[in-house]
Amino acid sequence: MTTHPHTKPREQWGTRIGLIMAMAANAVGLGNFLRFPVQCANNGGGAFMIPYFIAFVLLGIPLLWIEWGIGRFGGKYGHGTTPGMFHYLWKHPWAKYVGAIGLAVPLLLIIYYNYIVSWTLAYSVFSFTGKYSGVANYQGMADFLAAFQGKVSNAYFPTIATAFLFFVITHFCMMGILARGVSKGIELLAKIAMPLICIFGIILVVRVLFLGTPDPRLPLNNVANGFGFIWNPDFSILKQSKVWLAATGQIFFTLSVGFGAIQVYASYLKEKDDVVLSGLATASTNEFCEVILGGSIAIPVVVAFSGLAQTKAIAAGGAFDLGFFAMPMIFQKMAWGPFFGTIWFFLLFLAGLTSSVAITQPLMAFFQEEFKWTRKKTAWIVGVMTFFFSLPVIFFLKHGFLNELDFWVGTVGIVIFAIIEVVLFVWVFGSHNAWKEILSGADLKLPHFIMPIMKYVTLVYLVVLFLFWMFQDGWGVLMMKGVPKEDYPYIWFARFLLVAVGALMVFLVHIAWQKKHVIQQRVPE
Amino acid sequence: MKLSGWIFLISSWLFIIAVMFFSYLRVLRKK
Repeated sequence: MTTHPHTKPREQWGTRIGLIMAMAANAVGLGNFLRFPVQCANNGGGAFMIPYFIAFVLLGIPLLWIEWGIGRFGGKYGHGTTPGMFHYLWKHPWAKYVGAIGLAVPLLLIIYYNYIVSWTLAYSVFSFTGKYSGVANYQGMADFLAAFQGKVSNAYFPTIATAFLFFVITHFCMMGILARGVSKGIELLAKIAMPLICIFGIILVVRVLFLGTPDPRLPLNNVANGFGFIWNPDFSILKQSKVWLAATGQIFFTLSVGFGAIQVYASYLKEKDDVVLSGLATASTNEFCEVILGGSIAIPVVVAFSGLAQTKAIAAGGAFDLGFFAMPMIFQKMAWGPFFGTIWFFLLFLAGLTSSVAITQPLMAFFQEEFKWTRKKTAWIVGVMTFFFSLPVIFFLKHGFLNELDFWVGTVGIVIFAIIEVVLFVWVFGSHNAWKEILSGADLKLPHFIMPIMKYVTLVYLVVLFLFWMFQDGWGVLMMKGVPKEDYPYIWFARFLLVAVGALMVFLVHIAWQKKHVIQQRVPE
Repeated sequence: MKLSGWIFLISSWLFIIAVMFFSYLRVLRKK
């Protein structure tokens, strides 16, 4: 053990339900309500659920158990982050540096994800105050969002100041929660946010179900056709590999695996606490929010108000078009629109904020545990650091800075990290040890064939997903295809930031281990 | 909405609710 003998005991979850809520809140994010319905509608409707559930069973659940297992294992040795966890799994001098990916990825993710979360808070307030009322068409909503983001200046928003203000508020909310610690901060937030997300979601689903045919002159524009658009199966599309990969990608994103958040949360478990049943409860809660709530709000309501042709165009435009262009338009046409608009965007804000908190906690845990900083000091330093790293994302948004980071971190980085952790836990640590670790204290017996699935199938799924994304988009993004020449310096700056943050994390891990070595030499066993 | 759409919708919902019900019931029992 490398833990300092005088170290304070690690933080712990207050209750088991609190832990499950926190893990579920980590998984439930913007993707559940915006990305899933778009993916489903674009990839064969109901037939999409076949590859989706196959990926859920063969990739999602096994990967969740692997991350929970790694996390609780690291917690036994006083480590909440992957440098320490990998150090004990691999027992190689390089292991801790490989684990630095588990710090760089969440840092790079949070500097743009939290900015997007702040948009949902802003739109919740705009819905309440009627700021976008009178914007009559989709182009108008696109101009409204572009001005809000500072891409253009117009009558809606002459400067980026409003967006910046909402970002500051969101950032303070996030850091305030983290500064309160695991039980009194993260767990309390999850216990409030998860029921609210479900209540708001159910209110919206009930409202959608009773919409019927909003305009009797257009009888085809109705809720039943909306559900049909998302659920009517097109089996012919299952022959296309892109549909299977889209379903696999959705499962990967929705469970929030691959960036160290699950590990840090699981590290606050006790040695004999269950991970199998809790992991399953977390995954099923996430699926409830995604398939039942997320699949029943945005797409059906857009079909009911705008018709199939326009919904197809919006779905092809992606999740942001659906969330920030189509939905505000619909709320203007709906009775009690400001109320439903407010709770829709506030639901997204809560889903996003809980995920932001989870993404940032690895950084909090790293500095608290490896540098022995107090929670308050860590919160200030992490808060200031992430704030300043976010500034280029905010001010260079129109130059593609966020998209560049999102591809390399939010798509490539998290899959690479997931591949590394599966290899280290199941292959290097050993399948026998990994199986024993996962089953330790388990409240649910698992059949033995799960381990070969983890060892071979989950890994193959991840590698195929990675190669597909690299072949499909990687070369184009790397060569900056379609990027205007004037944006090249910003894209290079984003790449420099990626490398610099990676190097910084490796350096910090190196310093932390050197300090630990000095402490061990000073303190006799 | 076609009958096949309803079948996919209902079976997906039931599958998720069943897993959720089963896991939370076990969690509450073991509490």
